[in-house]
Amino acid sequence: MESLSDTLWDVVICGTGLQQSLLALSLSRSGKKILHIDPKEYYGGPDAALSLEEAQRWQAEHASASATASSIFNSATILQSPEPANLPSRSYSLALSTQIIHTRSALLSQLVSSRAYRQIEFLSVGSFYVFKPSSDAQIPPTLSRIPSTREDVFSTTAIPARAKRSLMKFLKFVLDYDSESNAEVWRSHADEPLTTFLASQFSLDNELQAYVLALTMSLDQNVVTRDGLAVINRHLTSMGVFGPGFAAVYPKWGGLSEVAQVACRAGAVGGGIYILGTGIEKVVDQAEVDEPVEVVLSSGTTVKTTWLVLGTEDQPEAGAEQISRLVAVVTSPLASLFEVSVEAAPAPAVAVIAYPPGSVITKDGIASEQPVYVYAHSSDTGECPIGQSVLYFTTRTCPLAKALLEAALESLLTALESPQCLYQLYYQQSHGSTSIQSKGTLVHLPAPSLNLAFDDSTLESIHEAWKMVMDGKREDIDEEYMVFADREGEILAIKSKARVCTTHFISIPSDAA
Amino acid sequence: MATYEAAFLTQKCNLPTRTIKFEIWDTAGQERFASLAPMYYRNAQAALVVYDLTKPTSLIKAKHWVAELQRQASPGIVIALVGNKLDLCSDAGADAGDDEDGSGDSGDARKVPTEESKAYAEEEGLLFFETSAKTGHNVSDVFTAIANAIPETSLKSARGPGAASGAAGRNEEQRVNLGGPRNADSKEGCAC
Ligand SMILES: Nc1nc2c(ncn2[C@@H]2O[C@H](COP(=O)(O)OP(=O)(O)OP(=O)(O)O)[C@@H](O)[C@H]2O)c(=O)[nH]1
Ligand SMILES: [Mg+2]
Repeated sequence: MESLSDTLWDVVICGTGLQQSLLALSLSRSGKKILHIDPKEYYGGPDAALSLEEAQRWQAEHASASATASSIFNSATILQSPEPANLPSRSYSLALSTQIIHTRSALLSQLVSSRAYRQIEFLSVGSFYVFKPSSDAQIPPTLSRIPSTREDVFSTTAIPARAKRSLMKFLKFVLDYDSESNAEVWRSHADEPLTTFLASQFSLDNELQAYVLALTMSLDQNVVTRDGLAVINRHLTSMGVFGPGFAAVYPKWGGLSEVAQVACRAGAVGGGIYILGTGIEKVVDQAEVDEPVEVVLSSGTTVKTTWLVLGTEDQPEAGAEQISRLVAVVTSPLASLFEVSVEAAPAPAVAVIAYPPGSVITKDGIASEQPVYVYAHSSDTGECPIGQSVLYFTTRTCPLAKALLEAALESLLTALESPQCLYQLYYQQSHGSTSIQSKGTLVHLPAPSLNLAFDDSTLESIHEAWKMVMDGKREDIDEEYMVFADREGEILAIKSKARVCTTHFISIPSDAA
Repeated sequence: MATYEAAFLTQKCNLPTRTIKFEIWDTAGQERFASLAPMYYRNAQAALVVYDLTKPTSLIKAKHWVAELQRQASPGIVIALVGNKLDLCSDAGADAGDDEDGSGDSGDARKVPTEESKAYAEEEGLLFFETSAKTGHNVSDVFTAIANAIPETSLKSARGPGAASGAAGRNEEQRVNLGGPRNADSKEGCAC
């Protein structure tokens, strides 16, 4: 093999976050020479899933309180951790930016058309709950399941008949919210808070408003009608696409981190060279516009490339919105959260719990002003050992965010028969740039979105970067984007001898014997 | 030549009492700069670490990977150490030995003695074979030995952390299918 510095690379990609990795996947059949590096020792960048050891190192690197540091992550603290020897570090994969993926997301169709999906195990996201505090200290708080299909609303006993009719009417409206007649109903309220709209147009009471608001997955209590309706519509129309009872999926072993790994593997299978633990020291100014870019790697090697694609996870936008996250590992399977609620539905591995504003109260008696969301992950996600669960809390950053998330954790544990907590990691994540930026052949992909559900607009910048690199002036080039044939078919043509290569890993599917 | 056409293949192995279907994941060169993703480790019930009998440095690298596997992979993983290109060694097994009688020392490119690797493999509890991918010599034996070494109990269980404690069977009823069965039967390769 030619050495790294002798090769004229077509593309050097720095960072293995979801976006850079999907770009590598999209280029994996292009025949281009690709060098893909990451300054971190693990795949996934800001979308990584970390073992406890890795999380400890990560925390130390992101402990700084300043949001203007050289990362979109800051203020990381491990609030609770047992003796390391007591927890097998590798049995945990804690996801830094957990997002669920709606079944109608273009990410899934791209993973299917690029054939990468075969290496990913998708699990279903089951019930959504609303947290209900208890006014009596003797009675634990409760979780009430949100009925999100019409059948569900019919059968629930938690809602009085009249309220059911209003909720039903609203759900029917959202399913078709863009039709001429329905749009007329909401257009004039488009920029009002959704809650106001729900009260005025559908006479939904506070409780039903909380149900509906939870489905928006918005961290903003005042999410406007236009945005809220779009998200609820996406949720409802995603129901049942890949099977009954779920609107979203989650990749086993750490969510988007797994997608990034599989995408990078596709890049490697396509001939791309992968080096972890190596970043960029310096980009040498080009003498001429048409000259290749010279890049000095942190290993000291200088490489030459036509295109250089970077992420922006090291460039937080000053003063931009931030979110606060708390990741907690608890010693209970939390089985009640993962019950199958619809006949023939796959057993869910993820549950969503929304805390309406005001329902979380800190030790000092201060109530939350914004919603708090929790993703509960069962051990089926592979993120913790059997018998345990991982809880991912998210809220908008405010001076009390940490105290509020700790209080939310505590009250959730009370509602769930008080399992023990083993481990807690708190951190803040800020917005980076939201659009792709390019200067000559230097391309910056935007930072990950702070949404709780995967945002399809993320895919646009990857497609754009692909087009630049492919010099996509051809009319029909978009038809080739992420559309590949199966590789398996190709290899099996060479079936005379088993190929024996450097290192192979073997796993036996459960339908083996 | 690097491996970039071989990403993933399946292979059936018939044992007297059972048939095992292997899913084989090539590391696709990601091992070259020690940049393997965790997805390789945790999915694996067995690993094949292959070195080149004609290159002593390749055994050193193989040893590094064995250590890495012992550190990172699930505790029950079966590791097979395989010295390849036996056809280039004059003391080769049946295939190579048969068709070259006059080759003598000049045809022997072996640089790693069998005893050395064998002793190392025994020490570390690895399966050990010398093969030729070119002639196919011993290749199926490697897979048969791996199949025999994987305990029956772990065969149907879920993979990854805690697999041994058995979330058996749940996997299948949980997996969301985005497009047909994961590996259609018609696509199976069989070199065994
Ligand atoms: N004579 C001989 N040559 C072999 C044998 N096995 C592989 N080769 C040759 O060795 C070279 C490397 O084989 P690969 O299978 O690509 O090796 P690899 O270790 O998978 O390489 P990477 O995927 O790049 O890490 C090729 O030219 C093969 O033809 C063998 O048993 N005998
Ligand atoms: Mg190879």
